[in-house]
Amino acid sequence: MKKSSIIGLIVIALAIGAIISMYGDASTYEGFEMARNNPGKEYHVVGVLNREKEKYYNPQENPNFFSFYLTDEWGNESKVVYKNPEPADFDRSEKIVIVGSMEGDHFEANKILLKCPSKYTDDQVKTAENNS
Amino acid sequence: MSSVTFIGEHLFWGNLGHSAVVISFISSILATISYFFAERNPLDKSWGNIAKYSFHLHSLAVITIIGTLFKIIYSHYFEYHYAWQHSSRDLPVHFMISCFWEGQEGSFLLWIFWQMVIGQILLRTSKSWLNPVMAVLMLSQIALTSMLLGVKILSYKMGSSPFELLRNVMVDAPIFKQADYLSKVKDGNGLNPLLQNYWMVIHPPTLFFGFATTIVPFAYAIAALWRRDYKEWLKPALPWALISVMVLGAGIIMGGFWAYESLSFGGYWAWDPVENASLVPWLILIAGVHVMILHKASGNSYIVAVVLILATFLLVLYATFLTRSGILGNSSVHSFTDLGMSGQLLVFLLFFVFLAIGMMIWRWKEMPRSAKDEEIYTREFWMFIGSLIMVISSFQITLTTSIPVFNKVFGANMAPPADVIGHYNKWQMPMAILIGVLTAVAQLLKYKKNKPEAVKKIGIFAAISLVLTVVLFFAFELRNYVYIGLLFAGVFGIVANFITLLPFLSGKIKLAGASVAHIGFGVLLLGVLVSSANKQVISLNTTGEALNPEFDNKENVENIFLERGKPNRMGDYIITYVRDSMHWVNTYYQVNYKKINAQGEVDYEFNLYPNGQINPKFGLVANPDTKHYMSHDVFTYVSSVPSQKSGAKFVNEKTHEVKPGDTIYTNNGYAILQGINSNTDASQVDVKNFQVLLGAELKVYTLDKVYDAMPMYGVQNNSATSYEALVDEAKLKFNFKGVNPENKTITITTAEKDTSGDFVIMKAIIFPWINLVWAGTIIMIIGFLLSIIKRISDLTTA
Repeated sequence: MKKSSIIGLIVIALAIGAIISMYGDASTYEGFEMARNNPGKEYHVVGVLNREKEKYYNPQENPNFFSFYLTDEWGNESKVVYKNPEPADFDRSEKIVIVGSMEGDHFEANKILLKCPSKYTDDQVKTAENNS
Repeated sequence: MSSVTFIGEHLFWGNLGHSAVVISFISSILATISYFFAERNPLDKSWGNIAKYSFHLHSLAVITIIGTLFKIIYSHYFEYHYAWQHSSRDLPVHFMISCFWEGQEGSFLLWIFWQMVIGQILLRTSKSWLNPVMAVLMLSQIALTSMLLGVKILSYKMGSSPFELLRNVMVDAPIFKQADYLSKVKDGNGLNPLLQNYWMVIHPPTLFFGFATTIVPFAYAIAALWRRDYKEWLKPALPWALISVMVLGAGIIMGGFWAYESLSFGGYWAWDPVENASLVPWLILIAGVHVMILHKASGNSYIVAVVLILATFLLVLYATFLTRSGILGNSSVHSFTDLGMSGQLLVFLLFFVFLAIGMMIWRWKEMPRSAKDEEIYTREFWMFIGSLIMVISSFQITLTTSIPVFNKVFGANMAPPADVIGHYNKWQMPMAILIGVLTAVAQLLKYKKNKPEAVKKIGIFAAISLVLTVVLFFAFELRNYVYIGLLFAGVFGIVANFITLLPFLSGKIKLAGASVAHIGFGVLLLGVLVSSANKQVISLNTTGEALNPEFDNKENVENIFLERGKPNRMGDYIITYVRDSMHWVNTYYQVNYKKINAQGEVDYEFNLYPNGQINPKFGLVANPDTKHYMSHDVFTYVSSVPSQKSGAKFVNEKTHEVKPGDTIYTNNGYAILQGINSNTDASQVDVKNFQVLLGAELKVYTLDKVYDAMPMYGVQNNSATSYEALVDEAKLKFNFKGVNPENKTITITTAEKDTSGDFVIMKAIIFPWINLVWAGTIIMIIGFLLSIIKRISDLTTA
C-alpha cells in the first residue's frame, strides 16, 4: 500500500470521527418533559419567563443563586435555578434559552442566553414615538 | 408621503452617497469585463485602458461613499437611518469610526475599501498577471458593492444602502407624518457599549484587511488555471498569502485581546462561531502557504496547494454568510442581525464556489502531479502532514460551527454542544500537540534527502525538550499529567526552531521567518496551556455564611458579594469595594486588593476599576479591569450591581455623653475623644463670628484604618450651631450636639451610613502567564513579517 493511501485512510477516519463526535456531543432543543424524563442529561430549552411567579435573587444572602419559572414552547413550566448572578437585562427578555439539566424538582441551568427585543426592530418605532 | 415637504433634511449627502454606490457598482462591472477581455486579447491595449480608468473611477466612488457616510455620522444627520441607528451625539470622534462596523453596510464598506486599496497596489506591482488577477478581484468587488445598493430589482431588494432615510425605513411610524419630524429626533440610538473600546477601533479594520487580502492568492490561483501557467504565479502569490496570514492572525488575536480586556466572559477565546469563522480561513491559509512552499521545493502536491488557496477565500465567504445571514441566531454573541440579504450572500458564496470548482475541473488533467511517493525522512513530507492536520482541525471546527446550517438544510434539531469548550478542546488539543511536534521535526530535517544522522539529531533535541518539559511542569505547578503532551509540543517546537534559528542570527535574519514564527507558535502553546490549566477563580464565595440551603456544591459559586467598605478575604487577597464614580456614561467601581503573604502581612496593594455601563438599551454592560503582572493577571469584573442605590441615608443614630479619653462604640468601628479644642480654625465653617467655637477631636478606628474627625459646635447670641463630621470610608457621621458643663461632658451623636443597597457582585480570576499568549502571537507575527520581506525580495532578485 502506498503511503499516500494510508494517509488518505487516516484522514477519512478522522473526518468520520469528527462527524460522529459532533453528533454525539450536540445537544438538542427540547422541552421540560424530555428533561424530566432524562434527569441529569443536558438539553437546550427555549421558553419565556413566567412573570406571574416569583423571580428570586437576593445577593446579600447569596450572590450565586438565582431562580425563576420558565414556560417552554409546549406550555410546560419548571422552576429554573442558575447558580450565578441574575443576568443583566433579564426582565426585558422576550425569549430565553437555558442550557442544563433537570435536577430533582428544578432545572439547573449552566448557561442562559437571552433574546432581547432587538434594537433594530421594536425599539425603533418606540424611540421615535417617545421623541415626538 | 410625497405630499409632505420635510424640514431640515440634508438630502444632498444621501444622494451623493447613493450615486457613489451606484457608480462603484457599475464601474466594477465595467472593470471586470474590461480586464476579462484585456486578458483574452493581449494585443488590444484599449481594453486594458478602459479597465484601468473604470477601476480608478471605482476607487474614487468608494472613497466618496466612505467620506459621505462619515460626514453624515459626524454631523449627526439623524434623518439617515444608519447615523440614527449606530451613533449618537455624545460619541467621541474615534468611536464614530467604530459606528462604521457596527452595521452590516459599514463593514461591507470597510471590506470594499480594503479590496480597492489592494487593487491599487496590484495595479502597480502585479505586472504580467495584472489582467486576470484584477478581473477576479473586481468580480468580488461587484458582489460586495451590490450589498450596498438597496434598490429593488423585480421586487427583490438587492443590498441594503447605508444612505437610507429614517422615514423610509420606518414608514408606519406616525412621527413621519409631520414635516418637522427631524426637530423631534433629538439623538441617535448610540453605539453598542461593547464597541466603545479602543480595541474595537482597530480590530475590525485589521481583521477585514486580512479577509480582503485572501482574494489575492485566490485570484492568482484562478489566473494560473486560466492561463495554464502552473508555476510562475506561486512567486507573486506567496508574499500576498503571507501578508494575509500575518494580518488575519493579528486581527484574530486583537479580537481575543479585546474580548479579554473588555468582555466579561473571562478569557480571550470562547470557541464562539464568529471567532471560529475567522480562525478557519486562517488555518487553511497557513496550511496552503506550507504546501505552496513545499511544492516550490519539491515539485509535489500542486493540486493540494491550489485547493487550499482557493478554499481560503471561499471559507471567508462562508464566514461572511454565517455571521451576516442571521443563521447563527442565538448561538453567537457577535453575529449581525439579518438584513434580508441571506439570499444574496448565498449567491455570492455559491458563485465563487462554482467558479473555483469549475476552473479546477476544466484544468484537472493538466495540473502538475508528482509521480512518486514522498520520502518519509524529508522536510516536505512532514510539512505536508502538518498541513493535513491543520485541515482536519479546520474541518472539525467548521463542522460543529455549522450546526445551525445543518438544522436549516436538513431540518435537524441539533443545538451546539452543552460543553462547547470541552468539545472543541478534545479535538484541538491533540491537533495542537501534533502541530507543535511537527514544527520541530520538519524544521530539523532538510528538503529532499536526509542523512540518518538527522533522525539522531531529532532524537537528541526531543530528549532535551523532554527534560525541559519535566522541569517546566513543576515550575508552572501544572499538577495534571495530561498537560505533559501539550507542554512538550510547545517546548520541543521552541527548542528545535531555536536551533535552526541560530545560524541566521549573524546577519541573515531575513531567512529566519519560519523559525521565528514557529517559536512564536510554541510560546503561544505554552501560554494557552498554563493560563487556562492554572486559571483560578479567586472570587469563590468563602464567607460560608447565609448560604441558601438548596445550594450545596461549589462548582458554580464564582461570584462574591462585596458590601461597600467591608473588607473580604478572597484567595490570597483582602479585597474591599471602596467607592464608585461616574465617568462619561460608565460607572467605575474601585476595588482595593491587598495581597497577603504567608505570614498574614500585606505584601502590596493595588486598585482595580472594573466598570459598568447601565445602558438603557443593553442593560448592564460590564467591562473588566485587569492588573497585569509579568507572571500573572488579576482579572476582575462586576457581574451585578444593585438596581437602585439607596443614596446617603444614615441610620442607627445614637447619642453619647463623653469626656476626653472616653470611647464611643458604633457598628462600623469605635472612636476615642482625644480632647476638646477651643482654638478651632473658624475659617472651616461658614459663619465667622462665633463667641465660642469648639471642636471635638476624635480618632476613629475601623478594622484596618484610623481616621481623624472633628465635629464642631458654635455658639453665637445664645443660638447654637452643630457642624457634623463625615468619615466617608468608615461610613460614620459624628455630630457635636452640646456641652454639659455640670458633669464636664459633651454630647456627640453618631450615625451609620445605610449600606444595604451599596454593594457590587464581582468575579475575579487569576490568569497565570497569560503574557505568553500575547508574546507568542507577537513573535509569530514577527516571523511572518520576516518571511514576507524575504519573499518580496525574492521577487525582485529572481
